[in-house]
Amino acid sequence: MATTVQLMHLYWRAGFGCSPSEWKQRQGLSINTAVEGLFSEAKQSRPLSEAGLLLTNKRAKDLSPAEKKALKDRSRQLLADANVDWVMRMALSAESALLERMSLFWHGHFACESKTPLVAIRQLNALREHALGNFKDLVLAIARDPSMIRYLNNQQNKKRAPNENFARELLELFTLGIGHYSEQDIKEAARAFTGWSSNMRGEFIFRERQHDFDSKTFMGKTGNFDGEDIIDIILEQPQAARFIVSKIYRYFVNETPDEARIQQLATQFYQSNYDIGKLMYSIFTSDWFYDAKNIGTKIKSPIELFAGIFRTLSVSEIDAKSLIYAQRVLGQTLFKPPNVAGWKGGKAWIDNATLLFRLNLVEYLQRGSKVRARKQDNDEMMQSTRNSRKAIVIDIHDIMQELDNSSEQETYVALRDYLLPSSQNIDASKILPFVDKSTKESYIKSLILRLMSVPEYQLC
Amino acid sequence: MNIIIELIPVIMKRRNFLTYSSLASTAMLMPNFLQAFSSPKTYNSRSGKKLIVIQFSGGNDGLNTIIPYRNDVYYSSRPSLSIPKNEALRATDELAFNPNMQALRDLYEEGLVSIVNSVGYPNPIRSHFRSMDIWHTASGSENYWQTGWLGRYLDNNCAGCIHQAIELDESLGLALKGDVRSGFAMDNVRQLKRTSSNRFLKNLAQQQHEHEHETVAYLYKTMIETQQSADYLFEHSKVYESKLEYPNGAFGRDLKQVAELITADTDTRIYYVNLGGFDTHANQKNAQGRLLKQFSDGVGALVKDLKQNNLLDDVLIMAFSEFGRRVKQNASNGTDHGTANNVFLIGNQLKKNGFYNAAPNLLDLDKGDLKYEIDFRRIYATLLDDWLEADASNILNGRFDKLSLL
Repeated sequence: MATTVQLMHLYWRAGFGCSPSEWKQRQGLSINTAVEGLFSEAKQSRPLSEAGLLLTNKRAKDLSPAEKKALKDRSRQLLADANVDWVMRMALSAESALLERMSLFWHGHFACESKTPLVAIRQLNALREHALGNFKDLVLAIARDPSMIRYLNNQQNKKRAPNENFARELLELFTLGIGHYSEQDIKEAARAFTGWSSNMRGEFIFRERQHDFDSKTFMGKTGNFDGEDIIDIILEQPQAARFIVSKIYRYFVNETPDEARIQQLATQFYQSNYDIGKLMYSIFTSDWFYDAKNIGTKIKSPIELFAGIFRTLSVSEIDAKSLIYAQRVLGQTLFKPPNVAGWKGGKAWIDNATLLFRLNLVEYLQRGSKVRARKQDNDEMMQSTRNSRKAIVIDIHDIMQELDNSSEQETYVALRDYLLPSSQNIDASKILPFVDKSTKESYIKSLILRLMSVPEYQLC
Repeated sequence: MNIIIELIPVIMKRRNFLTYSSLASTAMLMPNFLQAFSSPKTYNSRSGKKLIVIQFSGGNDGLNTIIPYRNDVYYSSRPSLSIPKNEALRATDELAFNPNMQALRDLYEEGLVSIVNSVGYPNPIRSHFRSMDIWHTASGSENYWQTGWLGRYLDNNCAGCIHQAIELDESLGLALKGDVRSGFAMDNVRQLKRTSSNRFLKNLAQQQHEHEHETVAYLYKTMIETQQSADYLFEHSKVYESKLEYPNGAFGRDLKQVAELITADTDTRIYYVNLGGFDTHANQKNAQGRLLKQFSDGVGALVKDLKQNNLLDDVLIMAFSEFGRRVKQNASNGTDHGTANNVFLIGNQLKKNGFYNAAPNLLDLDKGDLKYEIDFRRIYATLLDDWLEADASNILNGRFDKLSLL
């Protein structure tokens, strides 16, 4: 049986924490059972619907200015919806938290700004399909992904005038890392990806007439390589396994790399022929994953922070504009990474402005929200929510229920351990004077607010 | 406090006054633990060179900013967008200022302006975000760096300081993000003070965290430093209130704030101010004109403000945009994204007043775009080495020949 701290560590790193009812149900699980539960949820998930996302069949030049504007507005709206829906999926118990977490990781790794909702969702579907699958399939899907093709100018990569942008990032950022290939390798790889393009309908298309069918010499091998051959040759290099495992380790385990551990995992990953699921399973079930030095030491990214808050507070409605604004202020907007190198992460999330915003965030949310504490308020509240234009609906009913028979002190300890990963150093005398003790409900409400406002809540 | 300031001439007593009053007042408000935490650098009153960076976001059309009013190619490329000869504010036999830039032209006449033409970088990128990234990080167009040039300046030169570089914005841009140190973002001092002086957070700050995990300590340290800076900046913002007229709007307010903080001898060395809205593609003339007027009037007021307090010797202003526009106008009375552009430097320590180099050659274009002549990183190198007294080649990860500007 695992301790609560270990389980919360797993659910935070492999997902976005636990909802209050998950928190209750999962007490006392063994690590293996918990990890298997996460993987079996991931297997059951379905692709996202792409219906209704193709907004026009017309070419841009055939559109009137009014049509263009309407299309742009609609596109922006749908992209905002895609953003909010994704954060909500991360927060919802009914979805696979592990799959969403892995997709978020790959979204940062294959960083790409999507300009239209169709290609955004299509790319996300590709990430979801292979998130726990085979890394080679994933790389190939990204090389054929219309949004990435557009983002890295592979539309312009033609036999007569190769564009090296995609080839360069494939080697530098996606698979090997700087220093493990030559400039000539980039040129040759670019030739192999000529003609890998996308059409008006946001689909991958191979434009044969733009493809360079001549012989290429890439990383010491010569042949009539196409893009897939290039990916195969890259993945023959053990460096590719090392590069990916190192990034996964820094994201899921610890920002400070443990080179020996990484090398050992990389060897396994290489020998498994790049099986991502196996690698993740092995990490989450390892004893060392639960070492004290790995627990509660990672700064949550803004999206992880939101998803976690929403999961804990059962947030059911949120105004898209506010959520996207907050993402921008905190430096992580979904579908809009700063550049192809993705989000830097770690301490780079924190500067004076983002930290202040994070520390005040739950208070902002509560101020702008309707908090639902009893089941029966439901209809009445939904009604008043609509009328008062409150942007967010928070539900602490489940938490209230879990703590029904607890004393003030027990409630404090339970909530502290539920919300904070390394809570042993939190000084109750700094928290409790700021908690409203007038009723049980106000006690729990204000205690949640305070615990979510201490700096430790930024960590997982 | 205000009474004291009125009685003591600000210029004469500014430094002494502040050393005394800011230390006294903030120290009295500070809990013991914070006092122990505060580094001596934070409340040091000292003069020093200040750099103000003004960023035009959206790609300012340089050819309608500094107008080649005797160039036929300019007029034939822009039949309805060019600035008529008789409206342009003449500077040299070749070049003139946009009619909305009277204040800047006055500064030019006084010898306080240096303009570098045709600034850019090899293999230019025409995406706003990407090109701005390149200007922020000082990388080449094929590299993706995650720290900014001024952020790396802080990494290298500023081990103990916390608001050495301030961006007047709600969030911090990449230019000011370093590996270990970063700039300080604030929309305005009062709001900063409000959000950071939350009693709960102040109380939390008194808890010791130095022996906990490094990330926990880092968060607490950042929180405490932010609270200290908020107090410090708030105190300093009350020292001097400018009576000059700055343009309405956020940009004018930001410049006024900068002037007030500099006059109060705040220990900030770098101020970063944004002027957005240049991303116009249609009916560009009026929209750009309004922005250039804000820029010119704002800088005019700022310089006057600093001058009357004898502070101009210490201050250098640089204004840039991520790219310029194409030479030819487009079909909707605008211009599309281009490449090289002009960069403005304003101050009284400039070696070369007026135009640093010749006007861009409109007959020698690269597919309709100006060819860059001066790599922007040479300007950065000059500012870093000759103004901020830093090690430019270390900060820029390479050697760039300096310009003879300072």
